Amino acid sequence: MPPLLMEAENLTVTYGSYAALKKVNFSVFEGEIVAIVGPNGAGKTTFLETVAGLLKPKEGSLKFRDRNITKLEPFQRRKMGLMLIPQEGNLFPSMPVKENLQLGAFFENKRSTEEILNRVYRIFPKLQDRTRQLAGTLSGGEQRMLAIGMGIAANVKALMIDELSLGLAPKVVGNLLSILRDLRDETGITLILSEQSIKALDVADRVYGLEAGEIRFTEDAQQLDRDLIKSLYLGA
Amino acid sequence: MVLQGLITGIIIGGILSLPVMGVALIYGVTGILNYAIATIGTFGAFTTWLLLPYGLLPAILAGLLTSFVIGFGIQQFLLNPLIKKKGNDLTLFFIITFGIATIVAGLTKNFFPRPTISIELPKLGTLFIADVAVDINKVIAIAIAFSILLVMRFLEKTTKTGKSWIATSQNLKMAKLVGINVEFVYSLVSGIGCILGFIGAFFWGVLYNLTVNTGWDLCFLGYIIAIVGGIGNVWGGMISALIMGVVISFAGYWLGGMWQSVALYVILFAILIVAPKGILGSERSV
Repeated sequence: MPPLLMEAENLTVTYGSYAALKKVNFSVFEGEIVAIVGPNGAGKTTFLETVAGLLKPKEGSLKFRDRNITKLEPFQRRKMGLMLIPQEGNLFPSMPVKENLQLGAFFENKRSTEEILNRVYRIFPKLQDRTRQLAGTLSGGEQRMLAIGMGIAANVKALMIDELSLGLAPKVVGNLLSILRDLRDETGITLILSEQSIKALDVADRVYGLEAGEIRFTEDAQQLDRDLIKSLYLGA
Repeated sequence: MVLQGLITGIIIGGILSLPVMGVALIYGVTGILNYAIATIGTFGAFTTWLLLPYGLLPAILAGLLTSFVIGFGIQQFLLNPLIKKKGNDLTLFFIITFGIATIVAGLTKNFFPRPTISIELPKLGTLFIADVAVDINKVIAIAIAFSILLVMRFLEKTTKTGKSWIATSQNLKMAKLVGINVEFVYSLVSGIGCILGFIGAFFWGVLYNLTVNTGWDLCFLGYIIAIVGGIGNVWGGMISALIMGVVISFAGYWLGGMWQSVALYVILFAILIVAPKGILGSERSV
């Protein structure tokens, strides 16, 4: 069993009187690919934003690499190797592609940034053709590529991606997912994906089911009854 | 006569553009309309004046540093915690920074031995533009005012810190996620904004007389000129500062001093009726 990387205990997050997350317990082991599935409004985004530090939990605690990070700011968590690519607004639209990637690699020095950018370009050759184009003018698929490229450039221990498949053609989603799995196999990065697409289950090791702010199940991805999941959580 | 008025106008406009750029920069990055930067800059200019006997350069550095530290400190220890608690409320922070401006102006009045100062620089001679005599110090003032915009662009393009403030102004959430300490960026930018306020007040003190009230005027003018230029838009602020400078200058010549502010407001309202978002449009980016 690989060591525990991240652990959430009794995480409760509220918006006013509405509880978006209720006593959520969640753990991820190093090198795992974990998918969080659930219908719209289940609390997937809230959960990821809380782990990234954008939202502060009302109760509960978060541990990352054996450190309590509940009170840390987003940039401190990023420095420790935890990064979130949100589902929307994940680019700096008036900056060129290359500067976006450089900001993704914020904590790297100049030389390692170049190396990392080359790695991103190998994975997404399309981005290399457009290094000087403003991010806001890319197509939807290219923007998602760039956002994931920023996550890869971040060179973190754990990368969280919120709704990778949103608005993308199934084939593109399949490609991105296999790219991510290869990345994990190559670098040992831990991935946490929140997904409404059943395809995510193809690459995931483990699946959490989230509904109405509560964890309903956690299961090995291989042992899941996919049709059941599809009808219950993915609204397909 | 016209040329003289134009030159005076450009000089006034150039000096005004400094606090205007400060307001625009801070708003662009933090979303706060900071009213206090010119009073803080005036405090810094008074500090420079007080320390002039110890040499010009150390005095200028001291004034610069004082302004930066006050601007940085207020953002870091007062405004940032408030943003965290209350969110970014435009009106709330306007009122708070207005209060800070009042306090700083009061301190300036009580802290320094004289209410009106004039900063004496070594005379460098006179330059003739057509037939108009212009003090070289004034030319230097304008050159510095305009080059600051270029310096800022340079910082934004080449340094990580500069990129951080651009990133923060474009996408706050993502800036946090890629690892930028946005609170520090806010404080830094506020400090830099106050340095711009200082440079403006300093040159005002070199060319004219600087009083606590001048600080208020610079605040107020800086503020409305920033709005006319398109709040948050540094270039727009610069252009509108020059227009306003020329308006002030000609109104003074042709209509008399008491009509200067009337002319200013007429132009202000006219521009806002034609272009409600300001000359170059408002944007939260610099």
